[in-house]
Order: sequence, then structure tokens, then C-alpha cells
Amino acid sequence: MDKMRSLAILPIAMLVLAACQAGDGGGGPAATGGTGDGAVCDSGELDGQLAAVCEAGVLVVSTDPAYPPQSFLNEDTGEYEGFDIDVANEIANRLGVDVEFTDPTFDAVVAGNWSGRWDVSVGSVTVTEERKEVLDFTQPYYYTPAQMAALADSDVTGVEDLAGQTVCVGEQTTYLFWIDGTLSLPAEAGEIAAVPEGMQATTLPTDIDCAEAWKSGRTDDFQGWLTALPTAQGAIDNDYPVTLIGDPVFFEPLAVAFDKSVEDNDSLVAAVDEIIGQMHEDGTLTSLSEEWYEGLDYTTQE
Amino acid sequence: MTVGADSEAIRGAPIVEQIAAARRALTLRFRLTFVFVWLVIILGIGLALAVADAWDWEFAFRSGPIIVLQGAGITLLLSVASIIGATILAVLGAIGRLSSNPVAYAVASFYVSLIRGTPLLVQIYLIYFALPQLGIVLPAIPAGILALSLNYGAYMTEIFRAGIQAVPRGQREAAQALGMPERLYMRRIVLPQAVRIVIPAIGNDFVAMLKDSALVSTITVHETLFLAQRLGRSTFEPVTALLIAALVYWALTIIFSVFQERLERRMARGDQ
Repeated sequence: MDKMRSLAILPIAMLVLAACQAGDGGGGPAATGGTGDGAVCDSGELDGQLAAVCEAGVLVVSTDPAYPPQSFLNEDTGEYEGFDIDVANEIANRLGVDVEFTDPTFDAVVAGNWSGRWDVSVGSVTVTEERKEVLDFTQPYYYTPAQMAALADSDVTGVEDLAGQTVCVGEQTTYLFWIDGTLSLPAEAGEIAAVPEGMQATTLPTDIDCAEAWKSGRTDDFQGWLTALPTAQGAIDNDYPVTLIGDPVFFEPLAVAFDKSVEDNDSLVAAVDEIIGQMHEDGTLTSLSEEWYEGLDYTTQE
Repeated sequence: MTVGADSEAIRGAPIVEQIAAARRALTLRFRLTFVFVWLVIILGIGLALAVADAWDWEFAFRSGPIIVLQGAGITLLLSVASIIGATILAVLGAIGRLSSNPVAYAVASFYVSLIRGTPLLVQIYLIYFALPQLGIVLPAIPAGILALSLNYGAYMTEIFRAGIQAVPRGQREAAQALGMPERLYMRRIVLPQAVRIVIPAIGNDFVAMLKDSALVSTITVHETLFLAQRLGRSTFEPVTALLIAALVYWALTIIFSVFQERLERRMARGDQ
């Protein structure tokens, strides 16, 4: 009987060990937050989800580290880095809590109903009317142009050349919605270019996979690639056979997102929205953008 | 054809020794050819990768250690914890499947039917995303271990059932004749013999588990495939990263296969 009992303890010990791993190696708290000065959590009267986050002392942030320079893993240390990561760290810093990153797939983030697995997404999520039904958004923290790209030595010279052709996009991205004709950005996002007649979309799990397919020699599956300008530029800089085609087809406002199904989320949304406003005003976002996007300021909409 | 360097000395030896020497030479030649063919295939693959410029040494040196050390560590943790969980579930499941109690039989059969009838990936997603809706929020790694344990537990239930049934019925009658209670008979007589029968099957499942644990990368666990994919995309070297991940899984299965072979040989010795 004793032997049986000690056998039963083993998996429990394993689970405890695993839980510790999830905290240290797995989740990887990347920042030491909480500089007390003027932090939101120290301001006395808190309620709802904001109070819960302050109480926990940790803001769990979702990001997908597959999008340099927004969010990626340092190739030497494996730690989180990038524009989104710095923005998330600063938000937590101004709230007065620590950051813990987690990495669900993008389609899981924009689907809403996060089951409380993370508090907030600082993952370059575009504000769209459909997503507003399941997600709450702050004001945009930056804007990126949606850029069409083609295979470097192809005959495609303009977006209209891709009429009747197939274009590769990341799963559940706004680029997919644009091609499907279902993209509805908030009014302030500006004009959206018309979709060429008969353009079709094919999807891969993340945007970069499209460029990788071309590089690997899979050149007949699709003729275009629609993604964020920084992502396309990153591929070109890394010798992918990619060339930019025409002007951006639309500009997308990217904002911090929250799960709408969480009760009492308003307090947290409002607090983070205010922090984003401050970061716009005091130039924090501009300097972060210039740091990560080679001197370009993407935080205002030209 | 000469048999070996010392063939002169052997020619004078008795015929038995001559045959033994010839057999040794054949074995040696077989092994050398084996190693040679492996080397040729590996060199060929390496050459093809070099020609295609698919392998990037810089990435391998900079990010390889993270994938190998951290990633393989989590992969091993997932696999070992899950095979233990699966074994416990399988013992319970097998006892249920063989039980004369209709409730135990029904529960065990339902478990096996449901789990074997749904994809592992769906089970992983459900445990990660659906359980929290019921108020049970497991962290990612325990959620992954639970999914793998449940899945493999169901398959191993059938293996264990077969193992238990392989113990001759005469032994039950003998135990009953001695007045041994059913539970004691199960624990002392049946299980020790059944375990020996199912050990090779558990080994096979463990090797499969090592590889299926890659599916857990979809629920934010930083195991081998997760790190390889994210680091690869971060540095625009996804192919090198995937190749490193493949090598990690391959190496783990080779190492484990060696252990498994030894264990099986030791178990077999008990039968003689």
C-alpha cells in the first residue's frame, strides 16, 4: 500500500514542478514593474477588474513573439523583445504591477472569450467593428500601413495586377478581411482601397509564413502577400525574395485589447486607455517607435 | 575471399571455430555497412541542405542552445509526467473495462470511447479553453500534461486490459483456492505479470508521446517546437529552427530507445 501511495505522489510533484516552470521559464516575467511613483494602483479607490489586477500585482499580457520588430524572442537569450513588449512593460509600470507574457495564437486572441487566461492583449491588434463585439479597445497606440507585396522577380507591379489572383495572408488578420470584403475599420482610420476584382485569399498561421513559402520555392501557390509594412520590410531586409507593390491599401489603428466577456472590465480598460493617452503626450510612444522602427514614427496617422 | 587477418591460424583450427570466426566476420561486415549507409544518407541530406542554403550556422549557434536546453527540457518534463499520469489512468481504466460492476465498466468504456474518438489537438484546446469556463483554470503546462495523460491513458487502457487478460485464468482459481481476496490477487499476482507484458508497449507510447507533446506548443507552452517556431520567425530562419527541432526530437527518441531496449532485455531475462 505504501508503494502505491508514493507512486501517486509522483504525478502531483510533477504538476507542482510544472506549475513552477510555467511561472519561471514558461511564462517568463520579462519586466520588474512597480515603480511606486504615481502608479495607478497606488491611487486609492479602485474597483472592478483594475482592482483585481492591482491585487494580483501582475498584468498577464498576450503577445505572439513571431513578428519582429513588434514582438519576438531574442535570438541569444530567448527573452521577449520588441515595440509591443516595451509598450506592455510601460503600461504595467505605470499601473504599478509586474508583467507576465503568454503567447496564444492570434486567432485565439481576436476570437475573444479568453477564459481569464490573460488580462490584456498588447499584440498589435487592429480595431475593427466586428472585433468590437467581443473585444474592448483603448485608443490606438500606433498605426501601420497595410502593404501589398509580390515575389521579387514577378510581373506584378501594382495591386490591380493581382485581380483574379491569390494573395497570402495571416490567419484571422485584417488583411484577410480586406480581401474577403468584410473589413470595417473605425471612421477615423481613413480610406480603404478597393479590392481588385476576383482576388482570393489563402491563409497561413502567421504572416511571415507567406514569405517563407516563397523563399522555399513554393512560388505558384499565391502571387501576392498582404501584411503590415514593417513585417514586409523586415522580410526584404532579411533577403526574402519579396518586393513592395504600390501604396498601402489601408492604414490600420492598432490598440490594446480586452476580453469583453469579463465583468467589471471597464475600470481596467479606462485606466490603460488613460495611460496610452499619457504615453502619446509625453513622447514615450514616439521614442519607442523610432527605436524599433528605424527612426520612423508610426504613432500618429499621416 | 579471405575471412580475416588471422585466417592462417584459423585454418588449422577445428571446424566449429572456423564457422564461428566466419560468422563474426559477417556480423562485423554487416555492422560496418550499416554505419556506412547511415553516414552516406546523413551526408547526402547535409549536402542537399547546404546546396539549398537552408541551414544557417549563425542561427544554430545563437538560438540552438535555447531550443535544445530549455525546449527539450520542457518536452521531457511533459512526456515523463504524462506517461506517469497515463499509466495510472490506464491501470484504472483496464480494471474498469474488466470489472463485473456495470458502473465501473460503463465509465471506463465511455472514457476510452470518447478519448479515442476525438483528435488529441481538440482535447488540448478543450482543456485549455473550455475547462476555465467551468471555473477550472489550469496553467498551460499542467493543462498540456492532463491532455496528454488522458489521451494516452485511453490507448494504454486497452493495452493494459490485454496484458491483464494474458495472465492465465488457472492462476485465479489457484488464488481462490488459497482464499486470496480478489484485490490482493490483482495486486500480487496479476499486475506484476501484466506489467512485464505491457512494458514494451508503454515504451512505444512514450516515444510517440515525446513527439505528440509538440501539439502542446499551441497552448503557449514553451517546449521544443514552440521555441523553434517563434525564434525561427523572429530571426527569419524558420527552416533552420524546424530542422533543429527535428534533431532534438530524433535525438530524444534515439536515447530513449536505447534505454527501452535494455529494459526489455532485463524483463525478458525474468522469463527464462
